[in-house]
Amino acid sequence: MIELRNITKRYYSLVALDQLSLTIEPNEVLGIVGPNGAGKTTLFKLLAGFLRPDGGAVRVHGPVWPTIGFKPERLLYPGHHRLYQYLRVAAALCNVPSAQISQAVEQALAQLHLTDVAHKRVRDCSKGMRQRLGLAQAMLGQPDLILLDEPTDGLDPDGQVCVMQVIRSLQEAGQTVILASHQLQMITDVCTRLIILNRGQIYYESNMQEALSLRPQATIIATQELTPLADMLHALHPELQVSGRAVILEHGALPLRRHVLSLILGAGYDVVHVEQKRTTIHDIYAEVVR
Amino acid sequence: MIQRIMTLLGYLFNSLLRSLTGVLYIILSFIFIYIFFLNHATPDFDYYLLLLAALGAGLAFFTTLSTANIANQAISYPLLVRLPSRVEFLTAVIGSSLLFTTILQWLMALIALRSGVEISLGHLLELPAIWMSVNILAAVLALHASDLAAAGWSRAAVYGVLTLLLFGQTGAVSLSQWLGGRFLALSSLFFQRGWTVLANPFSTIANWFSRDGGETIKSVLGFVFWPLRATAEAAQTGLFTPTQALAPAIFLLYATILFMLAADLFATKDLHLTE
Repeated sequence: MIELRNITKRYYSLVALDQLSLTIEPNEVLGIVGPNGAGKTTLFKLLAGFLRPDGGAVRVHGPVWPTIGFKPERLLYPGHHRLYQYLRVAAALCNVPSAQISQAVEQALAQLHLTDVAHKRVRDCSKGMRQRLGLAQAMLGQPDLILLDEPTDGLDPDGQVCVMQVIRSLQEAGQTVILASHQLQMITDVCTRLIILNRGQIYYESNMQEALSLRPQATIIATQELTPLADMLHALHPELQVSGRAVILEHGALPLRRHVLSLILGAGYDVVHVEQKRTTIHDIYAEVVR
Repeated sequence: MIQRIMTLLGYLFNSLLRSLTGVLYIILSFIFIYIFFLNHATPDFDYYLLLLAALGAGLAFFTTLSTANIANQAISYPLLVRLPSRVEFLTAVIGSSLLFTTILQWLMALIALRSGVEISLGHLLELPAIWMSVNILAAVLALHASDLAAAGWSRAAVYGVLTLLLFGQTGAVSLSQWLGGRFLALSSLFFQRGWTVLANPFSTIANWFSRDGGETIKSVLGFVFWPLRATAEAAQTGLFTPTQALAPAIFLLYATILFMLAADLFATKDLHLTE
């Protein structure tokens, strides 16, 4: 859909994006995580066309530039407008035919549970309502690409679930979503691809399923020190480690977990805890950003 | 495109009308009318035309600055991203401030009639062309003064050129004399070295600068401000000659050139809207 090739963006001496290359595929939900100042907002503004790259090229795969909906991180909307009025403006700007504007606005309000507060002025809305208003305006007119910067920041658990459902429905409708968030669980739940951005560069990029299936781990904890069994257990597989009362089986050693368990029990040890853990984005993030 | 521009125009107009500055402009316009018209009887049409043109130009300039300031805030990001061209946004900014100005100017013009100004049908037909062209030019000039359209040193360049043109007229004769002296010195230098091929044309140029140059530079620089003079003169005599009648068209030509420049600057700059 869009290809960024060796993009560099500087603010005076600060390099916000450094030779960044990225391809955005149609109908994906791309999650971007990274520490503050990693370049996420700059990347969004560049994709939205607000910034021009200092180096590199942005290419579109298709005859026309995709239509874009954007929810910025800061929830700044005109305070004197009522929610439905503001959405009517947004709908009219994205070429929704005049006759269908009311219907499109009502649909967006309903989808984000804002129907009851549609006549409220924006300045009287809570942070959560503004957050949902931001998402509602971004999805109006069914743009090809939706950029969501921190879409669940300040939302209560119900609001977060609502936003995640909406993002899933957008993908089901064939739209492409790019979202940046510090809420790693939300990224795990809705994204199909993950990017970790740091210091203006992509430090990690993977399909979400592949990322989560990376290095699964199982831990068996006994009541006593397992050091006497260490040599025997380690001989079974190099990715098997004994540490005090625990045996840790990583990726390649995982199929041996039943065998290891029976060996420990057979040697007269009592086992108090067995845990199989998947890799989380938090693990990947901590490792990559560190 | 029309739907998008009209939507943005309504949105910005609404925002300006509800802002403190919008209310301030309305109050200041009433004060202006009270001081210059309602406070004393003024039957002169030229007074009416010129003062209300000045009010319109001032309003257009400052409302455009205010509207551009509203448009330059981060609340515009979600709206701007929807537009295929940023020029649509700039058009809406100009359009909304001109709509605000025109409504207020004509309202004030109606109130000012209470001072006893006599307007014939011919006079009435002159007003829209003159006032609108001046308003549009003032609005476009304001766009170049705003953070929204200005990029880099563009503000300094536009207003610097304008200042040069304005003050260049008064200093044209001394500038020409100075240039004449420099060319004469160069001509003498070339002559001493035997480069007569260069010395002769430089001598001719030096003579021209010393004799006619001042007046020519003055008229060239003054031509830029001709529409302003022509409008004022025609208003005073109460009659537009066919040449003077072109003045509003020249204003619009200037406005078009300046708007194209502003649009180009706005379309190619990095947008860092105020948060």
